[in-house]
Amino acid sequence: MITEQGVKDFLQTGGYIADDAIATAVFLALRMEKPILIEGPPGVGKTGLAKALSSALDFPLVRLQCYEGIDEGKALYDWEYGKQLLYTQLLRTQLDNYLSVSSDLREAVERLSSEESLFFSKNFLVQRPILRSFLSEKRSLLLIDEIDRSDDEFEALLLECLSDFQVSIPELGVIEAKRKPLVILTSNGTRMISDALRRRCLYLYIGYPDLEREVAIVRVKFPDLCEDLARQMVAFLRKARDLNLRKPPSVSEALDWAQVLSIMKATKLTPEVVANTVGVIAKHQTDLQKVTDLAAQELS
Amino acid sequence: MERIIAGFVAALRESGIRVSPGESLDAVQALALCGMDARRSSRQLLRLTLVKNVNDIAVFNEVFNRYFSRFHYVDPESDVPALMDAAIIDMEGGEFTYLNQQQGDDHDDHGPLLKLDSEISPEDLAELKSLTEIDPDDTDGTEIVMQMKGYRGKAKKPPRSTRRYTQNPLVIELNKSDSVGRGVTFSPEEQAAMQDVVSRMMLRLRKDMKRMKNNQNRGKLHVIKTIQKNYRHDMVPFQVALRRKRREKPRLVVLCDVSFSVSHASRFMLLLLHTLHNQLLDVRSFIYNRDISEITDMLANMPVNDLMETIDTGDIVDLDENSSFGQVFLKFKKQYLENLRGRPAFIILGDARNNYGDANDFVLDEIREKARYMLWLTPEDRDSWSRGDCLMDLYGSYCDRVEVVKTVDELSLFVEDLLRDIYADKADPLDRKKILEAKAAETYDPSDYYHRGESSRSEPVFDPGGRGHW
Repeated sequence: MITEQGVKDFLQTGGYIADDAIATAVFLALRMEKPILIEGPPGVGKTGLAKALSSALDFPLVRLQCYEGIDEGKALYDWEYGKQLLYTQLLRTQLDNYLSVSSDLREAVERLSSEESLFFSKNFLVQRPILRSFLSEKRSLLLIDEIDRSDDEFEALLLECLSDFQVSIPELGVIEAKRKPLVILTSNGTRMISDALRRRCLYLYIGYPDLEREVAIVRVKFPDLCEDLARQMVAFLRKARDLNLRKPPSVSEALDWAQVLSIMKATKLTPEVVANTVGVIAKHQTDLQKVTDLAAQELS
Repeated sequence: MERIIAGFVAALRESGIRVSPGESLDAVQALALCGMDARRSSRQLLRLTLVKNVNDIAVFNEVFNRYFSRFHYVDPESDVPALMDAAIIDMEGGEFTYLNQQQGDDHDDHGPLLKLDSEISPEDLAELKSLTEIDPDDTDGTEIVMQMKGYRGKAKKPPRSTRRYTQNPLVIELNKSDSVGRGVTFSPEEQAAMQDVVSRMMLRLRKDMKRMKNNQNRGKLHVIKTIQKNYRHDMVPFQVALRRKRREKPRLVVLCDVSFSVSHASRFMLLLLHTLHNQLLDVRSFIYNRDISEITDMLANMPVNDLMETIDTGDIVDLDENSSFGQVFLKFKKQYLENLRGRPAFIILGDARNNYGDANDFVLDEIREKARYMLWLTPEDRDSWSRGDCLMDLYGSYCDRVEVVKTVDELSLFVEDLLRDIYADKADPLDRKKILEAKAAETYDPSDYYHRGESSRSEPVFDPGGRGHW
């Protein structure tokens, strides 16, 4: 039996430092078999959580990256037309024999249509991510990434999958999940996700972590970075986030920066160090100036 | 426990958070799984299962603190929940610091104001309040009332009672960082509200746009590509490749008055353009007061608040001058009219108050020759169109349409309508017919637009800072 603390611990072994809210959400999602919808600014570890979970729980990760115009052919299943055609070509002689028994055209059509299910069977079905994770023998982790990039129609398509863990294929009927996967949806909030979808999910908002947790995250990923520098770095980034930048530096920037600093073998943050590495944390021209100004002001 | 949750859910709904029965069932299930041994974890469980929107989290915290604390609120009607409440509080033990801290966080953003409030006696406050109500900023012109309709939850409702004082000179002196006079930038609430209006508009438009875009992409059969694509199907053309048509974005030219009298309307307009820019349209934007200046590049490249600040410094056009439409038109003709391409649609936003200068209305005639469509949006009521220095009647005679807009919703509706028209013009004849038919079938009533097909519910009025009634 898993507990919340347990979730936290095994996430930590996967290299992910979770706070209480995240641990509770994961725990509930596992116990209640409900999807989690994660929202938050870019780069705070939404996708990272899914990856860490999949490695920590040993669930195979099935990832579905959403984009504008994604449809069921890309997300659920598709028919392999080419293969179907190929088979009819190859089986032509058999078909001829099979149909030669029938006396007239009508009978031949009936005879053929009685075997129709042969051509719409699982042999010719291409499993796309959602169906693949449903049919996986082992319990899997389905990551539906950046759902806000997809269209409304696709969201509606997900409703059935996420609430009942089943896929309806007109030719085959309803296919239910063998093992209900753990589903994680992420969104950057560029578009409002519909209430219908929200209702079916647990809602987790991951914001920027607090100082201690962020230091811990940096330390876990880069153990050779000295604690003082990590702390100084994170404190600086937290100040930078208040600057009202176009793209505030997030946790992923913190990790990049930590890597850069450890490569440069820096021991202390100085305005010069920041000025040299500012491209790692600020991603817009207007932001660069603001961050260097902050460094000159704070660190000298 | 079910009853506590049901009561709590009712309290949440009362505060404007939408909670479905399914979600409350989830909450009960979650609590059953995890137990309620600590206040903090219970709060998290309830939040995970009941709140589905970032903006509602603050309200949730508030309701949670109120509902699960014996100091503020115990349901007098039923004893069972009350008892359970007490039990929960007992269990939670020494966690009151957390509660207090949370409350402190919630009210942090109005620090100086709160301090001021505590120093003023209740009588003073009442006096201040009545002052702002009787004497709303008595500037000329009509102000666009930001009447927000549709669900936003109370979370987004601005903390009115404190903000209202910022209008008062007394407080403004103490609180200089806040906007003075001209409402320099958008407050986060205003910005969020406007984004909301715009995004809803985009949503309504999107379907039409997508269909038209798809059609625009479709041309004649691309024989080579089709053959290539269907090679594996034994040349049976299952998948058809079509030639692309050259896509043309509809062009729009917008002239925004930024003088004080219509500043709020033009600000919203600018935000609207900021959002629409590059997505659907090829927009050229101008702002004018006595002078006119193009801001297309700035709109595309600057954060909207920075842009507003730049406009407010008067660097682009001098805001202290009186607006003069005659001069503006003349300059527009001189500098820009020649290089407008492709029969754009024109929107002019302004009150047509010329301060008794030359009308120069012949320019409008020339613009009309170049334009596909001309729309004038004015905040003035029809009966004052020829009163005083207002030249609306004269100018209006050159326009295809003149509309009175007083609220943000109206403004967005007119723009939406115009966009539809423009797109319909560009669309295939077949599609165009469809769109026009659909439009004709709609009984058009702007005031009712958002409520069509919904049950009527009381909506929070969006009016931060009491700017609604100048």
